[in-house]
Amino acid sequence: MESSFDHGSPTEPLPTPPMAASSASPLNVQKTRLASVDGTPLSQSEITLPIRDRRSHPSAASLYASTLSPPGSRSQSPAGARLASRVNSGSVFGGLGSNNALALEGAGDSPGDPLNLICKAFVPHVAVYASDDTDQLLGEKGFDRGLWQLLRPFGERIQGKVIIRDSNGASRTYEDYSVHFVRFGEGLEHPEPTTGGLKKTLNGSLEKTTGGGKDEPSSRGRTLADVEAVVERHLSYAEDSAPAASQSPIATKHGLDIDVPSPYYSLYLRRLLSGLPIAPHEAFAHPVACVIAISSRNPAPIETLRNLYTQSSTGDRRLPNWVDSEYLRYYVLVHDEESDDITRSMSLFDQMKRNLGLHCHLLRIRGTQSVATDDDSIPLPTSEWMSASEELANIRRHDDQDDLEDQTRYIYESDATAIRTFVREMVTQSIIPTMERHVSVWNDQVASRRRGVAGRFLGLTRRWGFGSTSKSSSATQGSGSNYDSLGFYRQDAPEAIMRKLADYAFMLRDWKLAYSTYDILRGDFSNDKAWRYHAATNEMAAISLLMLPQNLSAKTRAETIDAMFEAAVYSYLTRCTAPYGAVRCLILGIELLRLRGGSNIDDAAKWGIRLIESKILGPVGEALIKERLAVCYASRTGLGTQQLGSRRRKSALWSILGADAWLAQSKYIPAQRCLNEARRMYGDLPTEHGIDKFERASAFMLGIGQQLNEKLEADEHGEESTVQDSDQVDEESEVLNTRGRRISTAGFPGATAPPLEASPLMSTGHGNSQEVVDVQGPTDDFG
Amino acid sequence: MSYYFVIIGTQDNPLFEHEFGTSKQGGDGQSRFSDEARHMNQFIAHSSLDIVEEVQWGTGQMYLKHVDRFFNSYMSCFITPSNAKFLLLHQPILPNSGSSSSGAAAGAAAVSSSRASTSIAANPTSPQTEEAVRSFFVEVYENWVKATMSPFYRVNMEVTSPVFRQRVAAAGRKYL
Repeated sequence: MESSFDHGSPTEPLPTPPMAASSASPLNVQKTRLASVDGTPLSQSEITLPIRDRRSHPSAASLYASTLSPPGSRSQSPAGARLASRVNSGSVFGGLGSNNALALEGAGDSPGDPLNLICKAFVPHVAVYASDDTDQLLGEKGFDRGLWQLLRPFGERIQGKVIIRDSNGASRTYEDYSVHFVRFGEGLEHPEPTTGGLKKTLNGSLEKTTGGGKDEPSSRGRTLADVEAVVERHLSYAEDSAPAASQSPIATKHGLDIDVPSPYYSLYLRRLLSGLPIAPHEAFAHPVACVIAISSRNPAPIETLRNLYTQSSTGDRRLPNWVDSEYLRYYVLVHDEESDDITRSMSLFDQMKRNLGLHCHLLRIRGTQSVATDDDSIPLPTSEWMSASEELANIRRHDDQDDLEDQTRYIYESDATAIRTFVREMVTQSIIPTMERHVSVWNDQVASRRRGVAGRFLGLTRRWGFGSTSKSSSATQGSGSNYDSLGFYRQDAPEAIMRKLADYAFMLRDWKLAYSTYDILRGDFSNDKAWRYHAATNEMAAISLLMLPQNLSAKTRAETIDAMFEAAVYSYLTRCTAPYGAVRCLILGIELLRLRGGSNIDDAAKWGIRLIESKILGPVGEALIKERLAVCYASRTGLGTQQLGSRRRKSALWSILGADAWLAQSKYIPAQRCLNEARRMYGDLPTEHGIDKFERASAFMLGIGQQLNEKLEADEHGEESTVQDSDQVDEESEVLNTRGRRISTAGFPGATAPPLEASPLMSTGHGNSQEVVDVQGPTDDFG
Repeated sequence: MSYYFVIIGTQDNPLFEHEFGTSKQGGDGQSRFSDEARHMNQFIAHSSLDIVEEVQWGTGQMYLKHVDRFFNSYMSCFITPSNAKFLLLHQPILPNSGSSSSGAAAGAAAVSSSRASTSIAANPTSPQTEEAVRSFFVEVYENWVKATMSPFYRVNMEVTSPVFRQRVAAAGRKYL
């Protein structure tokens, strides 16, 4: 517990760990490893290996914990109860052409599951705006970035059930709801043709408050590069640290694990979806609520609250006029248990309730810093949803200063309970009801006019100026279009409200309402030539349609979904030069189509190819997508013993392409994994020869394998020299070590077709590569 | 504009491979695959067997037309009663990026030909192309039957007959 290298462990004492990806208890980690290595004597040392890797100090491992922890370990202890309702979601991947609506219901429970990621990425954003004295209090507690830093991890899983009523009045219960806490006013992204003055003043004010403003992505193109860089760092870290340790979690039970994506891919996806900027064309990141916090130390509490409120709605911290300023204000009094008087705080709190209404909370926390050695301290989990640039900054900072400063923060158990209660209360009693109310009001007042035949006419008449009287409230432009010349819709334009309605519905998981609203908006935006809006709406329309638990015929798919993706991608790329949007749209599309199985998979692959063709991805992203397409094809199962209709050859081809791409970037571990997958796929084919009768192709495969062996061999020698001094165990088990590693790269015993694969791979352990060629040449399946 | 033609036996084994270029519109009949494209062609041909095996049950025809596409490579298929698959990989030269694999003259020829919409070289999915490929396949099939009727031929044996290769090349020149 003292050292954070045992990735995974820290959250065990937390009843509901918000950090899902690495929330496996240590026991769990050990179990999966042991099971997978199948009693290889090395398995024990593997667990502790990260200690003596090259750049290692413990805190480094904690930075990379999200990819080091085995992806297969699903959140165990707290999840027990919530599994009950979705037992049947596992059956989804079978069945030719089954459109597995069920799988989409319960947003799979594995943390890396793309569907789960989508549900958790598009959640209400809650801004945190705290007074100076609160930040001071939190600073003394060890959180130099204020209340936000303390709250953030707790928003990532709301304890207990969250009940949401959809637009038809039916209640649905979710147990994995989350919100994102953001710092107030951070991550603003301005529309392109914005006037220079506006942008400058806003940025200026931001910079002085956020301390350099380094954390915010300047543009979305940058985000994409940051995402790449983060994943690259993780990969390099895995390369640098002992290979056996980092790859053991990946080579899972039986080859390509189609249920659980590779940790790097889910990291890529998560970073891609996190840190959504507050942009005019989508309302996901617009604050749904703002936590306005003061502390019990404040001499003039009510005044301060009023000031903060004024600043957030009219003052210089005001959000631009394309963000609805009518969001919920939630007032929090942070009480310091240790130095302040509770009776005074209670009376102040009563006063707050009288003055400010019911959206108030008294948060009681201890004012002193907690350290690891305290009895009831628990580590504050790292936030799963920090943005790419933030993680990158963390890693860089860590690289720069070589001291052993541990970044993990600790809090008291009692504080954690208090915060959890606070977050739960705020979400279930204030945020969700407010959102529901907004949705129903907007739906009645704005959107319902546009539905049905009459609504469509209204849209037309408005366009030609006949109906402009009914829209007088928002008619800012004479031309009948609400699209501002500055490149955005004002917050009170019906389009903006409907977009907000659709986004709220999406965040409340009412896919149906979301889809129908997006669908109306698509036409409007295209008429107004608001291309960025058009792209984003098409994207979300397609995604919400795919999220809907209903079967889609191939025809609908071709007519609606493909058209929407096409429009979105074209608008993003050609009209707005916003590669980030295109990437997000296509990756989400691929994932959702893949989950539907059957012929949807071919469609998914088609979009994957389109994504690669468009050349907007960096090398890492491209390799990940290639790898993913292999998984995608592999998840199409065939019929009967011959598995007719499966796509195993395709899958193998993409694995090869993935291996080639990784090799070109000197990422040998994932390359080896891909190559093994390809070999296994070719080996599993019902036909006698995999690809080995095709001379050039098999020579190419052999070439990749050979290069990998050389590199890994070289790596090993390098490592031996560095490890030489470490401990005795290493030197004794050297031969064993190489063998163990080879086997583990080849997939584990029992996972492969043993006679074909094991022999050449083991022979490389003590032979040079020349010999390998000879051994493999004539006899091998994969050549 | 390049073609890669392969006949694949019942066990995913290639029985006959041939590369050629277009002879229409001033083409010299030489293929212009780059070196890395050569092994990729094999991979692509092999992977499109997945699609062929699915498509073959949905039609009563031996000619399955255009079955698959991989980036810029289009795959047409013809399946014989003995379950040998004729695969023709058809790679039009992209107007902007094709020059890496082909000479400047050929590149220019391809650019000029790609403007003509009926040209089979530029339009791998057009009906004209489909017809041309069908004629090619039918002619090859005829020769294939003759070649495999040889008493010394057993199923899944590679066909090495120079006469057969010549005839395939002639068919390619004639139709593609």
